[in-house]
Amino acid sequence: MNKQRTQDYKQRIDQALAKPKLQEALHKFGDAYLVSRANAFAGLDFEALRREIGAMKDEVRDNREQLLAQFMDNARTTGAIVHLAKTAEDANDYIADLAQKRGVKTVAKSKSMASEEIHLNDALAKVGVKAVETDLGEWIIQLAGQRPSHMVMPAIHMFKEEVAELFGKVTGNSEPAEIAHLVRVAREQLRQTYFDAEMGITGANIAVAETGGIALVTNEGNARLAATLPKIHVALVGIEKLVPTLEDAAKVIRVLPKNATGQFLTSYVTWITGAVPCGEGEKELHIVLLDNGRSTLAESPHCRDALRCIRCGACANVCPVYQTVGGHVFGHIYIGAIGIILTAFFHGLDKAAEIVRACIGCRACVAICPSHIDLEGIILHLRSVIGEEEGIGAAKSIVFKKVMRNRKLFHSLVRAASLLQKPVSKGERTIRHLPAYFSSFTEWRTLPTIAAKPLRDLLPQVPQKVDQPRYRVAFFGGCGNDFIYPEMGLDLVRVLNRLGVAVYYPEEQNCCGIPALYSGDRETAVELAEQNVKALLAENPDYVVTTCPTCTMALRRDFVEHLKDNPAWARQAEALAEKTLDVSAFIHNVLEERIPAGTASESETVTYHDSCHLRRGAGVWQEPRALLEDAGYQLKEMARADRCCGFGGSYSFTSHPPISREITKDKVNDIAASGAAVVAMDCPGCLIMLRGALEKRGLPVRAAHTIELLAERLDRD
Amino acid sequence: MSSADLLQAFREAAIRVGAQVKFFSQAQEAAAYISDQAGGLILVPPSPALERLDLAGALRKRGCDLASRDFRVVAPQAPAGVSGANFAIADTGTIVLESTDEATRLATTLPERHFVLLDPRKIVADGLAAIPWVRRLQQRRPRSFLAYISGPSRTADIERVLTIGVHGPCELHILLLDGLSDDFLEN
Ligand code: SF4
Repeated sequence: MNKQRTQDYKQRIDQALAKPKLQEALHKFGDAYLVSRANAFAGLDFEALRREIGAMKDEVRDNREQLLAQFMDNARTTGAIVHLAKTAEDANDYIADLAQKRGVKTVAKSKSMASEEIHLNDALAKVGVKAVETDLGEWIIQLAGQRPSHMVMPAIHMFKEEVAELFGKVTGNSEPAEIAHLVRVAREQLRQTYFDAEMGITGANIAVAETGGIALVTNEGNARLAATLPKIHVALVGIEKLVPTLEDAAKVIRVLPKNATGQFLTSYVTWITGAVPCGEGEKELHIVLLDNGRSTLAESPHCRDALRCIRCGACANVCPVYQTVGGHVFGHIYIGAIGIILTAFFHGLDKAAEIVRACIGCRACVAICPSHIDLEGIILHLRSVIGEEEGIGAAKSIVFKKVMRNRKLFHSLVRAASLLQKPVSKGERTIRHLPAYFSSFTEWRTLPTIAAKPLRDLLPQVPQKVDQPRYRVAFFGGCGNDFIYPEMGLDLVRVLNRLGVAVYYPEEQNCCGIPALYSGDRETAVELAEQNVKALLAENPDYVVTTCPTCTMALRRDFVEHLKDNPAWARQAEALAEKTLDVSAFIHNVLEERIPAGTASESETVTYHDSCHLRRGAGVWQEPRALLEDAGYQLKEMARADRCCGFGGSYSFTSHPPISREITKDKVNDIAASGAAVVAMDCPGCLIMLRGALEKRGLPVRAAHTIELLAERLDRD
Repeated sequence: MSSADLLQAFREAAIRVGAQVKFFSQAQEAAAYISDQAGGLILVPPSPALERLDLAGALRKRGCDLASRDFRVVAPQAPAGVSGANFAIADTGTIVLESTDEATRLATTLPERHFVLLDPRKIVADGLAAIPWVRRLQQRRPRSFLAYISGPSRTADIERVLTIGVHGPCELHILLLDGLSDDFLEN
């Protein structure tokens, strides 16, 4: 790992966290965005729409050479001059040369992320050409000498007072910090630029192979002016913008503004084909098609889905990490989840190395992406690539490779740790303070201790009186349930026994491998997958149940992926995947049972926290709510119930504790505001985080796993 | 959808995005509306439908100041532009305007007010239904500039506050006029 780079990055995080105003603005935007987006998609089947876009974009990727040739042919037929630029330098040279040859002094630019990607303005400045950004947000950040912090709203990190000051420097007056006035100033100041400029540069949202034309999706109207008034129009277009037909273009346009800002449609969609009239003559239209890493991306089996992206920016809008630190920290040129991936391919792995670890893995982006990209999956892959290139750090490496892969050693070390923690835990179940060096761990939350006896020792001693069991299920405990909260496992046994199910605990099971995978150690994750598949299938259980959705997703999705190229294991991994589910879904959907309220007279109020991997991984969220309500709990929904709790495993302990702290704070505020007495969840990881944070804040809300709450009802019958 | 439903849906969507929507049965009434609202020099680019109607004549009669050429010179001072729509899209309240002729583009991008006349028979349901017409327009003139216009120019680039009229028109007036033209290829 590159120490200096990491230090700089950590410093940027601290600086961002010191700006609560930015966080507040991004949170507010995130909330408002979800409301308007829901409104814009009302009555439409988002899942169907995004599958359609994903499939269309994959077709483009597979036929890209033919479609690109078709586009270029058609564009040339209509008088456009087309240049295919392999690299950023190539594109810059072409445009800068052209500007010089035509004696261009001023360029009117409309918003183009591709031009940010290649640093086009710098290349033009080098040959003495002044590029003026005319998009309001872009102009603001150009005046401020910054880079965009969001793909759709480049100046989202700035406030009107700052804008007023920047504009005041341009006009020489003191400009009042009123938004309508500032917009007016921009209109007046930039108006003449369109007339002065000898060249207009735009991007394009879509390039249509069928016609050789482009489409621009905009709100301000500056792109229309930049494409109309100057004699020369250069459209800089990433080759991933290609679609086969006009109908395909219409499908992208149907989704893009809705998912970007919650608008039904932008004020303008501009379709340009060929060299249109300009003044007395004809426009000189250049279309510069930019590759710059996109073909390489198309060849990467793990990452190529990222080419489906239509640049709506939504993956940032909903990202709790983005909302906490903003796009200048969580991004390079492209920001947010897609930014991590594009940075790796367009700007180099080194530029992506820090931000690839900044993803907390909550999958909020995956759920919102209109192009059906598994952003988290690709980010995890890139993390392991960088882990292999740069190493994952000596300490982690020893833990994963030497310890976790050796189950007996791992488990005996955990037992030893249980004894070693005694001096700090003082025999309690939580640790409130840690000695100086580790004290930051417990500054804003308490930590649970490692249980004296793990579940694997306790469970076999529990007598299970189930006559003619309906099913025999294997219980995959996962580290949290096994070593931290063994009592939760015993609750599971009691509840399932009551419903006529026998439970056993396969001794040979090991960690699900997610901590290693998230840290970039794929090799260990694969090894653990093999160990677990073998252990869990050994006695041919009817089902495998868990209390941890992260483990569920490991067993159901990741093991299959890890072992798919290994003929000895692939089939077994699939068999395991089919049998595995979390306990709430098992009770509700397989057993079709409920735990009745029993003699509970007063009903306790519960608010439910959706664990990221349960809701967006396994698609389970109604089941635990239904079980709790049937059991007589009164459900009081909190705001943003499905937002991440900030845990993220090692994310909250070692890689990004300051970001976790903020995300957890948001969640605890939402829990408190719900007014419920109990917060329920289906994940030991969330429980570690929320119990600890609630306790540290001294809030009288109990945090519990759904299975614990159900077990409590059994006692009341 | 029946044409009445399309019209209703279009009207609602257009109003939602901030357009003014007015109904007229006579060209004279439309001219009166424009002359009341224009606020000065009006750019009138070539448009077969508007010429048939002699909208320019009607406006002149009302004493309006019109320009029909040299838009590059006069446009920066003109507060209003008039155009005829090719057709409209109901679900997003969108006007589709073939703007290949530069005069049309200048008249509809630079002034603060844009008046666009539309025959209520020329409304399609949604963006996909518009595509066959887009294709025909582009085939007819392979070098073309086609504009979808939904409401006035807008920005939310400062603190996410929606603000109208940044670079393009601040007002979009849609004048629905019976019997204007039923030809989607004509504006
Ligand atoms: S990855 Fe998906 S959500 Fe993110 S910008 Fe691209 S299309 Fe939008």
